[in-house]
Amino acid sequence: MDLQLKGRVVSVCGPDEGTLAACRRVLAAEGAVIAESSPGTAEAQADVVVAVGRSRPGSDLLEVSDPDELYAAWADVTNAVDAYRAALPRMLAQKWGRFVWVGSAQAKSVDAEADELAAVASLGMLGLNKVVTGEVGSSGITANAVLRGGMATDEDVANAVTFLCSEGAAYLSGITITVDGGVGSAIF
Amino acid sequence: MDYGISGRVAIVSGGSRGIGRAIATTFAREGAKVVIASRTQSSLDETLAELEDIAPGNVHGIAASMTDPASVDRVVAESRDRFGPISIAISNVIGHVIDAAKEGSGPGAGTFEGMETDAYREEFTQLLVSSWALARACVPDMQQQGWGRICNIGSGVAREPSTHLPHLLPNVVRPPVAGMHRLLAARLAAEGITVNNILTGSILTERNRSYWEWLARERNTSVAVETQDMTQRIPAGRFGEPSEMAALVAFLCSDRARMITGQSIPVGGGGSAHL
Repeated sequence: MDLQLKGRVVSVCGPDEGTLAACRRVLAAEGAVIAESSPGTAEAQADVVVAVGRSRPGSDLLEVSDPDELYAAWADVTNAVDAYRAALPRMLAQKWGRFVWVGSAQAKSVDAEADELAAVASLGMLGLNKVVTGEVGSSGITANAVLRGGMATDEDVANAVTFLCSEGAAYLSGITITVDGGVGSAIF
Repeated sequence: MDYGISGRVAIVSGGSRGIGRAIATTFAREGAKVVIASRTQSSLDETLAELEDIAPGNVHGIAASMTDPASVDRVVAESRDRFGPISIAISNVIGHVIDAAKEGSGPGAGTFEGMETDAYREEFTQLLVSSWALARACVPDMQQQGWGRICNIGSGVAREPSTHLPHLLPNVVRPPVAGMHRLLAARLAAEGITVNNILTGSILTERNRSYWEWLARERNTSVAVETQDMTQRIPAGRFGEPSEMAALVAFLCSDRARMITGQSIPVGGGGSAHL
């Protein structure tokens, strides 16, 4: 299927190099152009912004001793907000844009892969996606999330991200796709 | 119904006004030993006087910020010294008010385009760090007793972000707070500790009343017009009272509700659309 991503400029950001590299690879295979310049300027020219949260496998809120650990997790959200806002003027002007957050499936199901700090950050991004959708959704801009769990590979995640960036996903906004091989048991 | 919380020690943050005060009052009537914490000494004193009439000698007030973990630790230690180990913790801290000078400006109002990331961090401190700090400080007492109740006064926007009110920040930070309580519930269930979260709907507190006054000014309408729009969206056809929040919270903190944990429950007169 032609995802109609040819020539779309993509900026990816976040601390997880493996996932970022897979997203770049799969999006580039669909003809998207990866923005190469430094953060901040890359987003300003992007049609697509993919933000990836940090994984902290096994992180446990009751084991956190210093609130700075909470703030470090929350920085994933504020960094994504900065990237999204940098891209927004161009997207609004051209009436087309895609935001995709990649986070933890534990945001939706406690029995998913245990990473409680990533779940907290991801839930913030699910709220943010609804805000962005409400505010700029009528300008052809979507904001969605891919939640990763189970044994999902970087490639599995990148495939879902790329679909959400496609033309066919234009009517999907404020939604989440869980990529966890069926591990999480929550229905909704 | 005997809720079985007579003699239990309860801490209610934001306990001097509105929903917090209603909860503290209900706990006092049920025979619990109640500590209320609030930043403002004057409203604390006023509410304490009311509570003293209900439960002489069983109430205590502490002026403190409940968003700073060190200050929360101090409140919990002082409460323990006064009444004994903590059994019930109610976190009830309001969100970040962007323009505090503008009375009734409402928490977290703004647009995605215009909101600076510092404000997101502030809201995270107000809502998430505060409730995390209170839970963390109280859990050891609860574990020792094999009995505990943690309840967060959250918001309906945790599940259904508000698109018709300009409250960006709670839309972003309330969902993580709800999720955190769900995760804590899973960790603590085997120790007799329940953790729940209230999805507050349209409850008519003094603060909400001033919010409606602000909104009416912003939109150049009247309070009657603004609240009519709102109450029409509520199947019950009216706002809720703080005492109707307290009724559910008291039940969830009772011995009877020992199997109810990890839940986010709306109190909103049927206004929640979520299945």
